[in-house]
Amino acid sequence: MAADIWTDRLSEYVDGELTAGETTALEAHLTGCAECRQIADDLRVVARTAAALPADTPGRDLWPGIFDAIAPGKSAIPFRQRRPWHANVPRLAAAAVLIATLSGGSVWLAMRQRAVVPPATLSARPPSATPATVIPASARAERTYDAAVADLRAVLDSGRGRLDSTTVAVLERNLAIVDSAVADAQRAVRSDPNNVYLNTYLARTMRRKIDLLRQAATLARAET
Amino acid sequence: MITPTRGARALKRIPARDRSDSDAVEVALATSGDAHAFERLYRKHVGRILALTRRMLSPDDAEDATQDVFIRAWQKLETFRGESAFGTWLHRIAVNVCLGRRAQLGLARERYYPDDAPLELAAHPDSGHALERMDFESALQQLPDGARQVFVLHDVEGYRHEEIADMLGTVTGTSKSQLHRARMALRRHLDR
Repeated sequence: MAADIWTDRLSEYVDGELTAGETTALEAHLTGCAECRQIADDLRVVARTAAALPADTPGRDLWPGIFDAIAPGKSAIPFRQRRPWHANVPRLAAAAVLIATLSGGSVWLAMRQRAVVPPATLSARPPSATPATVIPASARAERTYDAAVADLRAVLDSGRGRLDSTTVAVLERNLAIVDSAVADAQRAVRSDPNNVYLNTYLARTMRRKIDLLRQAATLARAET
Repeated sequence: MITPTRGARALKRIPARDRSDSDAVEVALATSGDAHAFERLYRKHVGRILALTRRMLSPDDAEDATQDVFIRAWQKLETFRGESAFGTWLHRIAVNVCLGRRAQLGLARERYYPDDAPLELAAHPDSGHALERMDFESALQQLPDGARQVFVLHDVEGYRHEEIADMLGTVTGTSKSQLHRARMALRRHLDR
């Protein structure tokens, strides 16, 4: 029966997968077959309904089970030693921005709450607070880094009087070393911006300075 | 196995908010070993992955399979090159997990119903009018495994017949046939 032949091709028809000749023939059939027209309409609705099906909400939090599997040590700060950074410069720069931003944010939090900032500051940040920005260029990452350093410096300076002189001397010496390393790395990156190794080294060095400042700011706050 | 670079149509089905470039930051951090960053990726994508595993497998198996998907994603993070959206890459892993589980359970091919099977197969013979009142998702769960698999991959996830045939180790003609039968069965359960 002709109608049966075309009925079996109706999904291909609504998906636009028939040849031009087949489409012409089927459409000619549709003009005289109300049942096939109805079926074709229904199939379109089915496909649209399927495409609009919603996501699910888990009945329980599945994360603890996942975390148990991926962090065998179950440390408070799950930071596994993997290949340090992906060999991709834009992603590297993006990560540097996030680290710098989060570090600056933790100090701001410390100032507001006048409390010691725990090292696991990343966990305190809700998922929705992640900056939804386009992947930044290295230059933008450096600007954000500079802003975070300035924030941390301000906090440290305000609490400097509470640190003993030996601690301040060690801190300044270490910061000078890191500053020198950052400057060297920045110069090297500017001369060879696409060098993955240099970008990786710069990001690591910048992070080292952020970490050092963050620890110092926390220490200054703890001395109150 | 399935590569993460194809399936552009699948990407279209992922809401724009799930394709934001902020994933790239979290992925970079997670790749360096930051489990908190990976947890943020999990919380962002778990809903769609859970829906996929539930539709491909069963409600009873979905949560366990979803955990498996994220564990495998963590293990494979270093292979993610950013050539597709993270969500698309994750969905590919989820499809692989589902297909692997189905193969383990012996559900893969023998439960495909033959080409000449009646379209009414999706309706349980004892359910009668009750099935007509079931919503679309419930009707989907009543489909035979092979038809449901193809329907979910094509109409819900947006994969092409060529991709589905590759995933399932079959031919495009079979994929098209299964899709049509699934749609024909489901059209009786539309909310009209």
